[in-house]
Amino acid sequence: MKSKLIIAIAAMGIAVLFSSCAKVPQAEIDAATASIQEVKDAGADLYVPEAYQALVDSMKSANEKVEVAKAKWFPNYTKAKDLLAVVSQMAVDTKAKSEARKVELKAEVEAMIVEVKALVEENKGLIAKAPKGKEGREALEAIKSDVAVAETTVTEVEALLANGDLIGSNDKIKAAKEKATAIKAELEEAIAKKGGK
Amino acid sequence: MGSVNKKKIKWVIVILLSLVVVAITISVIIVSQKTLPTEDLRIAREALSEAKEAEANLYAEKLYKQSVQMYDSAMSNWSRENERFILFRDYDKVINFAKKSKKIADEAKEESIKKADNLSKNVEAAFVRLTKKIELYNKLFKDLPLSKSVFDAHNKSKMFLSESKIAHETGKLKEAEVLFKKADIYINHANTAASKMLRDYFGDYPKWKNQANDAIAASRGGNKVILVDKVAHKLYVYQSGKLIRNYDVEFGPNWMAHKERSGDKATPEGNYHIVKKKERGSTTYHKAMLLNYPNADDRARFEQKKRQGLISRGAGIGNLIEIHGNGGRGFDWTSGCVGMRDRDIDDLYRLVGSGTRVTIVGSIESLSAITEGVDF
Repeated sequence: MKSKLIIAIAAMGIAVLFSSCAKVPQAEIDAATASIQEVKDAGADLYVPEAYQALVDSMKSANEKVEVAKAKWFPNYTKAKDLLAVVSQMAVDTKAKSEARKVELKAEVEAMIVEVKALVEENKGLIAKAPKGKEGREALEAIKSDVAVAETTVTEVEALLANGDLIGSNDKIKAAKEKATAIKAELEEAIAKKGGK
Repeated sequence: MGSVNKKKIKWVIVILLSLVVVAITISVIIVSQKTLPTEDLRIAREALSEAKEAEANLYAEKLYKQSVQMYDSAMSNWSRENERFILFRDYDKVINFAKKSKKIADEAKEESIKKADNLSKNVEAAFVRLTKKIELYNKLFKDLPLSKSVFDAHNKSKMFLSESKIAHETGKLKEAEVLFKKADIYINHANTAASKMLRDYFGDYPKWKNQANDAIAASRGGNKVILVDKVAHKLYVYQSGKLIRNYDVEFGPNWMAHKERSGDKATPEGNYHIVKKKERGSTTYHKAMLLNYPNADDRARFEQKKRQGLISRGAGIGNLIEIHGNGGRGFDWTSGCVGMRDRDIDDLYRLVGSGTRVTIVGSIESLSAITEGVDF
């Protein structure tokens, strides 16, 4: 009877010994860290900053959970592992969101480039129709310069787009569109004035 | 004998195991009494997240970085302590780092909100200043015959201002600041060049004032006199010292310059008279009145400048400066003539005859009167 008790106590000791040796889920931690880096490299911090921040916070929380487990006599990493799995999935989702936003933004910028280019051409056509006399071309220098600035901006936007700077190109093309639209209105007014003579 | 020994051994084992169990129990109790830094780290992490949301990484960068470092130190210390034997672990440092991280993150958040708010106000104030500068350009300088580089600078300034406004609207205040600074550089360049041109031009104002007064005085005998104000783009008709008509007029693109030679697109300044009236059919500009440009003063100036090498040897002095129709286009388009609306030239044509004095001056108003006291 006594020997059975001794064996039971020894078995418990062994069980305790084994359970206290539960391994830190390093592979999961490394995988989640790598996936976050991948998401950052994909520009998620720029294109979907809120989702990216939530991902980073979740990773921090997972790291804390790992340490909480480590601090115990009998570490149990189940919760940390679960959270790390959630982080990895979040990383996949955030990357997808970021890619989708990039595609959307790129399409917006490209559409605006087409629009601004058309406006620039339209403005050039309007300049040709604008009132001019003996020295009309020189008198329209100011408006032509305005059109040239808008045209140069389109070229700059195309360069930014080629370099993958979607946010910079989006802001710039919006300004160029405003400019080209204002020039068009100015020219149409001048032409209307001439027509009314 | 052997049985007694076995019994003894068993009892020793039982006692030892009991001691182990007691030791483990005491250790568990000791460990459970230790405060884990979990809550402090959670609070620090959330504070950091809030600071980031308030863009402290941009507007309170130093504090934010310090806070991140404190959090990272807390985590690495925690990890290090967890590597030690459980009874020797000490989380005080970890808790200390976490608390510092939270405190600094809160400060960073507060500073960021303040700085962003100030920056936003500064940017908005800069927009107002820049818009005023652009308005000043449009009011005073837009119609001046400025160089292409000045037009370009003005237009680039407007473009950067638009970009800056878009950045501001989307909360990118630092970017907005960079862009409005660029806009400011360009508008300052344009306005400085244009204001210098205007100030230099008004150096002749005393002379213009005298010429204008002479012209008005010459009308006192009942003669009609034409007075052309280039800056105002106005043609006035005086009779008996009184203004009887005024019309809007247009000039050549280089109207600010005094005409010196053929092809300079400048409108001459000085005293002239109508030498010939051209009816419809005799001119392509509806109706026209030819002036006696070049007069003796123009010829003398032309010869002197040619001698000084300021005008090329092959250049001609130019001629056929007229007051004519086909105007009202809203910009300066002639080759140096005075362009009027057809209905206005019809009226003037009926009003004045050949020999009528035509005095052309830069401005009859002083620069301060024209700019209405605007500081430029």
